[in-house]
Amino acid sequence: MEGLLYGRLPAGAAEEELGAQPQGSEEAKAFVNAFLKRSMPKMKDEAIQDMLTRKAVVLEHYFKKKKKGNRKKTKGFTAKQRRELRLFEIEPEQQRYAIFLPLHELWKQYIRDLCYGLKPDAQPQMVQGKLLKADLHGAIVTVTKSKCPSYVGITGIILQEMKHVFKIITKEDKLKVVPKLNNVFSLEIDGFISYIYGSKFQLRASERSAKKFKLKGTIDL
Amino acid sequence: MRMSVPLRRLRQAPRHLLVCEKSHARHARSRHAAHVRDHAYNCRVSFLIPECGTLPEVLKSTIADVGEYYLLRNLSLHELVTHEFIDTFVKKGSCHALTYNTKIDQDNTAALLPTGKLILSVDKDTYEELGLQGRPSQYSGKKVMRYIITIDLMDPSFHPDSKKHKRVLWALKEKKPLEFDFLLAWCNTGAEGSTLMSYFPKNQIQTLKPKITFSTLRDLQCPVLQSNELQGKPEESCSTEELFEWLGAVLNQVSLDNKSFSFLSTYCCPQPNTIVEQAFLCTITGFIIPEAIIQLLEKLCCYFDEPKLAHWLTLTVHGFADSPVSWRESEHGFHKGGENLYNFVVFRNLDYWLQMAVGTNDDCPP
Repeated sequence: MEGLLYGRLPAGAAEEELGAQPQGSEEAKAFVNAFLKRSMPKMKDEAIQDMLTRKAVVLEHYFKKKKKGNRKKTKGFTAKQRRELRLFEIEPEQQRYAIFLPLHELWKQYIRDLCYGLKPDAQPQMVQGKLLKADLHGAIVTVTKSKCPSYVGITGIILQEMKHVFKIITKEDKLKVVPKLNNVFSLEIDGFISYIYGSKFQLRASERSAKKFKLKGTIDL
Repeated sequence: MRMSVPLRRLRQAPRHLLVCEKSHARHARSRHAAHVRDHAYNCRVSFLIPECGTLPEVLKSTIADVGEYYLLRNLSLHELVTHEFIDTFVKKGSCHALTYNTKIDQDNTAALLPTGKLILSVDKDTYEELGLQGRPSQYSGKKVMRYIITIDLMDPSFHPDSKKHKRVLWALKEKKPLEFDFLLAWCNTGAEGSTLMSYFPKNQIQTLKPKITFSTLRDLQCPVLQSNELQGKPEESCSTEELFEWLGAVLNQVSLDNKSFSFLSTYCCPQPNTIVEQAFLCTITGFIIPEAIIQLLEKLCCYFDEPKLAHWLTLTVHGFADSPVSWRESEHGFHKGGENLYNFVVFRNLDYWLQMAVGTNDDCPP
């Protein structure tokens, strides 16, 4: 069977059965050229001929250069520019306690949600553990202990938390910048009073959420 | 082997100071009254008169006049800075107050000077919580564990509406309420007003009288002194240091025999000395205000108005070991004994020697 299948067609069979006619070599060349030209209209004739001469192809790995998009990634300001532009400073007319009271309400809501409703019988450890990782913007804090006596007694809403300072707005509409170092803050929510030892708290708010606090070291100022 | 400096210092005895000065009691520029007045808190006054059997009546009545003082239990400190108190007592006389049973090196201590300065000596933690500006204690070393806060109650800027007054009141009333037992004494010049007894509630205040003891010492060896020889002269008179030492022994009833079998003390009276048949020793213990001491000193000077056998007499005043100040506002600390005392030696011609002694943690006396 196989021999039959792969065997040559008897001469003349092709012409008779299929109506195909063998072409002369000149005709064949012209046909190939026309075909190539039709299928690759952009390529030049010489280039096609070049391909047809079957030159050896050098096999080498070559990097496809990624096409750089024309749109550049929008780069932010540098820290220096930010400082010069005073981006993170609150304008004097905005420094009013009343403006930030809704923020405080929001914060209270946030802490209550965080601590599963903050029931009065909740474990203080749980509350503290949550507060440790929580965002403090909007909390009302008081400086209870300080190496510098002038800071003692400042009470207000935290507007900004930076690595080393809290910016606090007091009831008298004064913006106070209180360093965390050597200060102890107290924070009251629904009867739970927590103390923040600022010296151990010198992190940005975002970094703090991931930080693991160790129960080591002295808490003395 | 060389010792490092701090180790070498440990081997030394703690510093003590004895300042001595000589003047005449009637001299116009004599500072004896000022020195007495500057030493505000006195717990014991004793005087020794050689060759004296019974006390003259004048002195007796003076001793009886040494005013009574008050013990106030559990007084909140903020009551001393209220304007009612300042107007009734501090501004109308000299008001002395000192915390009672507080230790200067471990507790919080407060003292109200007659000049109207309230001095708080507080430990580090209290200072950090209190929120009042102070300065670190001079004797606290590298790591400050004690702070001194001075509040001038007589300052005209300390009026009731001032920020300063509000802050002090807030700190002592709400922030960190401090409660002490106080020894109080008040003397007003002339003007009659309400008294401390009626100002404070009855169950809090208690009147105390100074305790007075008399004793006559027999056959006492007394050093020979010459008023113009402070350093003493061999074979002629004793120096002030020798006298000071001898007086300490006499006041503490140390035997002066120098017996070979005494294992406690082999102290003997400095040379040259005389044996005095009898000497009168009187000790007053309590909270004694400087005005009473000035009066007593004046009367003791008058003792020589009539011819007497004695060549000199002494008046010794001990300050409180745990008071935050010694003279004026100079800081006082308790290192080994907390001693701060002075001693007058009054001679027959009314020349006097004044010896002022302090322990280690003290400023030099004035």
